[in-house]
Amino acid sequence: MNWFLNLSTRGKLFVGYGAKLVFMTAIMITAYLGISAIQESQQNLYRREFADALDLMKLRVHDNGTRTAVLAMIVTTKRAEQETWHQDIQQRGKEIGEIMRRLLERNHGNQHLAGRLEELSAIRDTFSQTRDNQVIPLIYAGKLEQAKSLVMGTQYERYKQVRAIARELGDEVEEQARLSVADSERKSLQVVYAIAIVGLVFTLFGLAMVVFLSRVIATPLRALSNTTERLALGDLTVNIPPDNRTDEVGSLIRTFRTMIEKLRKTTLEINEGAGVLASASAEILATTTQVASGAAETSSAVSQTTVTVEEVKQTAQLASQKIKSVADSAQKVAQVSKAGCKSVEEAIEGMQRIQDQMETIAESIMRLSEQGQAISEIFATVNDLAEQSNLLAVNAAIEATKAGEQGKGFSVVAHEIKSLAEQSKQATAQVRAILGDIQKATSAAMMATEQGTKAVEAGVKQSDQAGDSIRLLADSVNEAAQAATQIAVSSHQQMVGMDQVALAMQNIKQASLQNVAGTQQAESAAQNLHELGKKLKQLASQYKV
Amino acid sequence: MNLEGPESPKRNIPMSIDWRQIERRLEEAQVAIEHAWEPTAEETKRILRERAKGLAREHGQTELADERIEVVEFILSSERYAIESRTVREVYPLENLAQLPCTPAFVLGIINLRGEILSVIDIKKFFDLPENELTNLNKVIVLQSEKMVLGILTDAIGGVRSIPLADIQPSLPTLTGIREEFLKGITSDRTIILDADKLMVDKKIIVEEQVPE
Repeated sequence: MNWFLNLSTRGKLFVGYGAKLVFMTAIMITAYLGISAIQESQQNLYRREFADALDLMKLRVHDNGTRTAVLAMIVTTKRAEQETWHQDIQQRGKEIGEIMRRLLERNHGNQHLAGRLEELSAIRDTFSQTRDNQVIPLIYAGKLEQAKSLVMGTQYERYKQVRAIARELGDEVEEQARLSVADSERKSLQVVYAIAIVGLVFTLFGLAMVVFLSRVIATPLRALSNTTERLALGDLTVNIPPDNRTDEVGSLIRTFRTMIEKLRKTTLEINEGAGVLASASAEILATTTQVASGAAETSSAVSQTTVTVEEVKQTAQLASQKIKSVADSAQKVAQVSKAGCKSVEEAIEGMQRIQDQMETIAESIMRLSEQGQAISEIFATVNDLAEQSNLLAVNAAIEATKAGEQGKGFSVVAHEIKSLAEQSKQATAQVRAILGDIQKATSAAMMATEQGTKAVEAGVKQSDQAGDSIRLLADSVNEAAQAATQIAVSSHQQMVGMDQVALAMQNIKQASLQNVAGTQQAESAAQNLHELGKKLKQLASQYKV
Repeated sequence: MNLEGPESPKRNIPMSIDWRQIERRLEEAQVAIEHAWEPTAEETKRILRERAKGLAREHGQTELADERIEVVEFILSSERYAIESRTVREVYPLENLAQLPCTPAFVLGIINLRGEILSVIDIKKFFDLPENELTNLNKVIVLQSEKMVLGILTDAIGGVRSIPLADIQPSLPTLTGIREEFLKGITSDRTIILDADKLMVDKKIIVEEQVPE
């Protein structure tokens, strides 16, 4: 049974309806065969029994006709009428022969009937020969009495025999026909029975099939339908038992399971998504509100900017004029910087000379310092001398004291010498102080000279640097001049550009206004979106997961 | 252009110096040096007048004083001292001092004065005066009496002066001991006059002579 479950629904239907078709075909064949048999028996009835009966009746009619004609010939005296009747007799004879032949031909299988027919035919032949060979010539010969006796005698006997046999044959044929009809009825009854049996079997089979298919296909589908109804009500917690069937229903159940899984997952995600959407839409709404206010601010800012651009445009015009004068100035500056270069070279040469002279000065000061030292040595000697003079004067005064009154004059001289010695000492001290000052001044001069030399060296260096710088400056100024020319061109372009910018700002202004309007629309759209998000969240929450 | 900025003041400084004026001043200095030993007439006159005044004053003082003593002034630790010039033989720079071992602190050493060996004493030790370092500017006053010749170390020699006796005041009553012994008096200008005779006959010094015997 499992194989049938695993069969596809198409296969199942194919098998069920195939079986039905087979049964139907069987019924049809049975019916056809039965009907064919009935038809055949009816045909037999028609062709043989009815034909035989008819032919026998015709035969009797013609026999009657012929006897009547013979009698008519006897009765009449006119030759023409006799000939007419003769012709009729001949005609009827031919037809009788024909009918006889047909009867024999048809019934040569039936021994009994054929024997009777042969008998009939023999009597008839005798009858006919007697009539043709004796009666007719007698009539023509006018021997009517003879003919009449003949006809009423033998011929009538024969005629009676023929009629009896014909009637007997007719009855026989009738009996045969009745048998045939009965056979046919029996056959048709058989067919009806067969059809009834087959139909019953077929109906039972069909019922079984319906029940089975309903159990196999409809029941799981109904269960599925119930589940789907719960699903439709938003209950995603439904569970469908797994099925290992491989037919469409099995795959449908599996697919449905997968679908529910996915649906559950998707609904969960949708739930989350709806939450996110709700919060996001709230944020978007807030942002859009901000953007709307921002757009309004932008609009006003753009208006201000437009005014500013107008001012900038005028400024650019002024700048363009200025730039032209700057370019001219730059050319002049380039020439000046060349002159500056030359001057710096001269300055460097001058510095070199100053350095040489500084060296000379340094040497002179050195000599001066050395001479000052020599002088100070001399002063030491002079000081020593003054000291000794002083002592001498003191000793002289002592001697003068010892000499008493006579030494008084000498004492004065000694005093004078002493004061001279002191003066010379003081002078020496002064000179020494001055010499010290000179030495200090010399040292200071020396230091100043040294610093001067260093300064001059630095000056030379700086002059060199200045030269380099001025050369660089000259180059830069040249570049600046070129740049100024380019700037002049650029400035012109800038002016043109500023015009375009002004135009663009106008456009931006319009766009900004449209922006504001658009943003307001966006705001309302965000509002709608927010509501939609809320709604969606509500909807999503209807699903039980 | 900018780099020339710092240089310009350096140039300007020498330019601001008036070389002409400096040359003129140097010339004047040269002239002054050359004519330093030839004082002008006015200078000569002034010097002569001062000398005349000096001489006139000296004479006046001499005549006014009745009794005077001649003293030799000298400096000991910034204080002025004086000794009667009659006890002084001569003054002499402190040269070739040879220190003597095993002598009291006040004996400085001995010197060779033109072949004569003299002992030199440091009287600062007696008066508790602060010591100065010995230099070749120190002088020795050579005292001479009938019995002995003695050198006294001084920081510097002031000169010979005559002082009226009336100007000399007795020594201060606060001074005692050796100071009072050697002190003769003090003048109005706070010159301390030492008594050389007492100094030379003082036993402390003489005792010193006996020790080497």
